Amino acid sequence: MQFAATTLSSAEESLRAEVREFLAAELPPDHRPALGFAGRHDPAFSRRLAARGWVGMALPPKYGGHGRSAVERFIVAEELLAAGAPVGAHFVADRQTGPALLHYGTEEQRRRFLPGIAAGEIYFSLGMSEPDSGSDLASVRTRATRVDGGWAVTGTKVWTSEAHHNHFFAVLCRTSPMEEGNKHAGLSQLIVDLQADGVNISPIPYLDGSHHFNEVALEDVFVPDDMVLGEIGSGWQQVTSELAYERSGPDRWLSTFPVLREFLREGPGKAASDEEATMIGRFAARFWAIRQLSLSIARALDAGQAPVIEAAVVKEVGTRFEQDLVEALRVAAETELDQGSGSLFGELLAEAVITSPKYTLQGGTTEILRSVAAKGLGR
Amino acid sequence: MSEDRRMLTEVATSVLRDLCTPEDVVAAEASGWSEPLWSALAEAGFPYVSVPEEAGGSGGDVADAVALLRVAGRFAAPVPLAEAGLLGGWALAAAGLPLPEGPLSVAVGRPGDRVDLTGGPGGWRLTARVQRVPWGGRAERVVLLTGSGGERYVVSAPRGAAVVEPGHTLAAEPRDTLSWDDVELPDDAVAAAPGGVDGDALRLRGALGRAALISGALERVAELTVRYTGERHQFGRPVARFQAVQAHLVTIAEEAHLAGLATEVAAGNARPDPVFFDVAAAKAVASEAATVAARASHQAHGAIGMTKEYELGQLSRRLWSWRDEFGSERYWSRELGRALAGSGADELWPRISTGLVSA
Repeated sequence: MQFAATTLSSAEESLRAEVREFLAAELPPDHRPALGFAGRHDPAFSRRLAARGWVGMALPPKYGGHGRSAVERFIVAEELLAAGAPVGAHFVADRQTGPALLHYGTEEQRRRFLPGIAAGEIYFSLGMSEPDSGSDLASVRTRATRVDGGWAVTGTKVWTSEAHHNHFFAVLCRTSPMEEGNKHAGLSQLIVDLQADGVNISPIPYLDGSHHFNEVALEDVFVPDDMVLGEIGSGWQQVTSELAYERSGPDRWLSTFPVLREFLREGPGKAASDEEATMIGRFAARFWAIRQLSLSIARALDAGQAPVIEAAVVKEVGTRFEQDLVEALRVAAETELDQGSGSLFGELLAEAVITSPKYTLQGGTTEILRSVAAKGLGR
Repeated sequence: MSEDRRMLTEVATSVLRDLCTPEDVVAAEASGWSEPLWSALAEAGFPYVSVPEEAGGSGGDVADAVALLRVAGRFAAPVPLAEAGLLGGWALAAAGLPLPEGPLSVAVGRPGDRVDLTGGPGGWRLTARVQRVPWGGRAERVVLLTGSGGERYVVSAPRGAAVVEPGHTLAAEPRDTLSWDDVELPDDAVAAAPGGVDGDALRLRGALGRAALISGALERVAELTVRYTGERHQFGRPVARFQAVQAHLVTIAEEAHLAGLATEVAAGNARPDPVFFDVAAAKAVASEAATVAARASHQAHGAIGMTKEYELGQLSRRLWSWRDEFGSERYWSRELGRALAGSGADELWPRISTGLVSA
């Protein structure tokens, strides 16, 4: 495992300045920051961001992208998340489905989807988990059977975030029956139109009643051959490398940063007690250190490396950190939580307490990440 | 890492591999010193890395000294390397005072320390009592910073003229109290302290040096723990196969890398001097890492880790000492938090989103 210190070039620093300027103009001073990449779904914001060239940045220009580096994408992402910008509409397509289409998609699929992703207009959900398949993803039971000109897909996906807003999702399913002793074989990814016949989306309310999760039931949904993503039978390899892309970015350690900033704004300032100062300093120090690890992975990706183990480590440590911050702020604030408290800090803190358990679940649980990382350590 | 720095760490590694084995460390803990190790390091010029060549040092920069200290931390090297170069040598060179041939240490500046310098050129006199001086009883000279008559001075105090009261870290490294009672000093032992050579600067350098030692020790702790849990079988398989044990391995790796990269960035930005934010963050992270990783490693090792003969204890007892020296995680978190709270909410992200600045 290796993390190398990296410097940002002056061009990279000017990109940061441009993003800050854009956000200062775009977000009113009293805007309520979103927490994390899924914090708020705002297609108009996504389109304006895309108009600046900051969605699908790393995609090649011939597909509507901008040919920028992973580090440049990192800088834009961290500025957006630190500001609490509403990136929820495009974020998954930008982070995950775009790169997967570029790597595994056909030329026709790239031309069909990537320009829309880069324009901030086509949004994707993830079609991985099922009622009986979570961390053991290879046990998915959704199955696709061969029909004339394509596949008929039947099964149920759950925890499908924003399926009620988004356009497509990439469904991991069985295209051939499970072989004894090789459960990773026979899996494939199909791109399913969330508006297609046979797709039934129903909400699964979050614990505070808000609507992000869905159950997506697929009943004999026809998926034409040209919507197969990658090779039939290679779904497992594709999906695990896709998880590696998504793991290590700023969305894995910055989700609750706006709560700390608002604590500073509403809090004690220069009159901070020793205890408050110690808490602020401790988390600032770790933010800074975790960011160095996360940034070094973006640089390694640009150098053509595949830092899969490093990415698992950053997500494991980063998402636990996001949660630790929330609890430390709660202790420091000595308040009773109320989502309608009237203070921005108080409301963000309440929201963070309710939503933060998901950070160490989505995209690979802490337990799964530890086992991925530990295998790498033993080598 | 530059080619020069890579060479430096390779040569240091080979010297330490020969002369700083776990058995050598045990022996040095018993006797309080390892002359063969110090002589070999001094022969190679390692104590004065980062001290300018024109002042008699070995040249190189703070990042070179930090790279060297990481190697020293890895081997639990029982010698005052950080005190000689990064701290004492820096102060002596800045003040234009000669570097001693033998070991150099420094008064780290503890509450209750007293340094009174009186007289003037041709008749300087020193009365002082300073605590927790690393290898104070073995040093040829000890660097003191003090004020006298509105001026600030760097003093290169001869240890031979001091009364030594021994003290130790948890790793049996000497941290002695030294007293000088109205001792006359030659003119080449006192010089005005240039701007920037003060207690705060010394503390930053000390903290960076300890963060480097911690980072090096943590690398080794991580290796030892992976190796041991891979070899040790219980319930018919290596204990590293158990998820609960894997969690310890991952924790150690995370903390080691956090401390290591934070220290590397803080060292790289020390051009020429360490920067408050970077060092405060790096030492806060490293001290916490020392605590968390030592605990996880001992848990993963079981009883063997509690024995004197096994290498882990040489590292963990140093981690438990270094984490508190030159400011604990609480001290640096508090200092950092005060500065950040004072500069306001909108300055927080711009500060956090800084890293290694290009040269």
